[in-house]
Amino acid sequence: MRGRALVIGAIVASLVLVGAYLAAGGSSYEPEKVQNPCKPRPWSNPRSLGEIANQFTTSALDGAACKLGVSREALARALATPEARKRFAEKYGIDDRKLAQAVRAGLVRAVDDAEEAGALSPILAGPLRETLKNIPLEEAIELVNNAKSLLGNVQGFLGLGSSLIEKFLP
Amino acid sequence: MGVVLADSSIVVLALPDIYRELDTSVSGVTWVLVSFNLVMALAAVPAALVARRVGPGRAAAVGLAIFAGAGLACGLADTLSTLIVARCVQALGGAAAVTAALELLPATVGSEQRAATVWAAAGATGAALGPALGGLLTELVSWQSIFLLQVPVALAAAVPILAVARHEMATGVIEPELRRTGRPHLWANLALAMVSAAIAAALFLLVLLLIEGWRLSPIVAAIVVSVMPVAAVVGGKLAETVEDARSRAAAGAILVSGGLAGLAFLPKATIALTIPPQILVGIGLSLVLSALTETALGGRAPQAIHGGWTISARHAGVVIGLLALTPIFTHEIEQQRHDAINAGTAVILDSPVNPLLKLELAERVSERLEEQRGKVPTIGPAFEPLPEDPGERAEVQQLQAELQDQLDRGATHAFSTSFILAALLGLIALFPIALSKEVEL
Repeated sequence: MRGRALVIGAIVASLVLVGAYLAAGGSSYEPEKVQNPCKPRPWSNPRSLGEIANQFTTSALDGAACKLGVSREALARALATPEARKRFAEKYGIDDRKLAQAVRAGLVRAVDDAEEAGALSPILAGPLRETLKNIPLEEAIELVNNAKSLLGNVQGFLGLGSSLIEKFLP
Repeated sequence: MGVVLADSSIVVLALPDIYRELDTSVSGVTWVLVSFNLVMALAAVPAALVARRVGPGRAAAVGLAIFAGAGLACGLADTLSTLIVARCVQALGGAAAVTAALELLPATVGSEQRAATVWAAAGATGAALGPALGGLLTELVSWQSIFLLQVPVALAAAVPILAVARHEMATGVIEPELRRTGRPHLWANLALAMVSAAIAAALFLLVLLLIEGWRLSPIVAAIVVSVMPVAAVVGGKLAETVEDARSRAAAGAILVSGGLAGLAFLPKATIALTIPPQILVGIGLSLVLSALTETALGGRAPQAIHGGWTISARHAGVVIGLLALTPIFTHEIEQQRHDAINAGTAVILDSPVNPLLKLELAERVSERLEEQRGKVPTIGPAFEPLPEDPGERAEVQQLQAELQDQLDRGATHAFSTSFILAALLGLIALFPIALSKEVEL
């Protein structure tokens, strides 16, 4: 075999391999980028109370994360366990009071988003927003301290008023 | 000689085990490889000079004895520092044995030219075979067995050399004075260093990707990377059909770079996709290492000294490759781990799973990540036990698969920059290859 043919063969083989891998998505095979929590996240058309609760939680986390200047994902992990919250507080220099204020702001944003998406009637959204705005700080801190109760309260709250809410569901 | 040259890469698949057992860092464990190659690079030429002075038989026998003794110390080492010191001593013995072997080979194979070809081929095969062999031993026995097994192999290799050594002692030094040695082949040795840096990166990074990134066991990783030595055999056959050493070297460097670029752009975290790039790297390394070694040795005497220069260039290249790329990929692994965890959390948050179950999963995943801090985590146990409700179970399984996909993406992407840089090193080697004069062999 002639030397030149060997070199040309090597170039062709290399280009074919790299070209095929790039065409198959090799340049974009990386973790998906997370969304900026301050940008609005579109609500899908909710068909049940569970779906509303799900999207409400996501919106609340987005709102709180936006207020704190962190990602929604980092905040969600921080709320998972007391140890995780402690590490989060040390890393970002955020105390419980600041965190509670952010959670309160997040809950208000969730009501805004639900109303804008037509998932919550303005008749219900108004008083709910006012209630959340005035939620005592200690209560908000308690919600943060026990993140499960945060979700439980969201579900419970929606559950208690389910008959009322369902009347206003689109 | 193959044992010594395989030794520079044989521990690659054992590194994750050494890393865990000796409780060190990725950067720390890299020195198990770097120390051996650095001492080989520094000692090869002086060792060749000593071999010329005391006789290759004696130099090889003493070198193999030191290599075996230090291998035993490596196998018994219980701290990283002891292991690294023993590796340095092992490299001293290895340098003496390898360079002296080149002086001894012509008597066995018939001519200096044939000796150069056999020596170069042994070097390429050793480098390619090392990781697969090391992986099998690590999985089937332990990482220590890699070193302990070298003891009888090195001692067995020393037995036939003892007769030569005895003859040298009886008749005095073979050559009473050193012949003037010509200058080393600058361009061939420079190209050899660059290509070796790229090849070291290919072996080291691929093994880390398979074991630490994709969580394969050493034995499975060994089977996967055995594609390279098999392809190197094919490359060896191909090399026999082309006389022009410069073309073989250029084609080999291009194939190594092409294979590395392929590994940089893997479109999915599956073993099958690593095979075509490995075939290119395997064929390429066989073509380029043998062609450049033959070019560096061709028409030059004494062979041991010029062989020493090629050993020095190759191992210096390995050291440069490892030292330059280690900080890059360790930083990338941490960055990608962070991105993958965020992406995985987003998958959980955006899933239709019941919010309370979602939070419970987030809690378990968070604990799992904490347990495996600093490593690419395995996420499966965080999802156990699965919910009993069939609908919820399917949702959680889907979630687990999506989360694992994000982690696989992160682990794979973490190596991309290093593979690209290694591919560039291989391409840059084309310049000294182009400047190297053709040598009739």
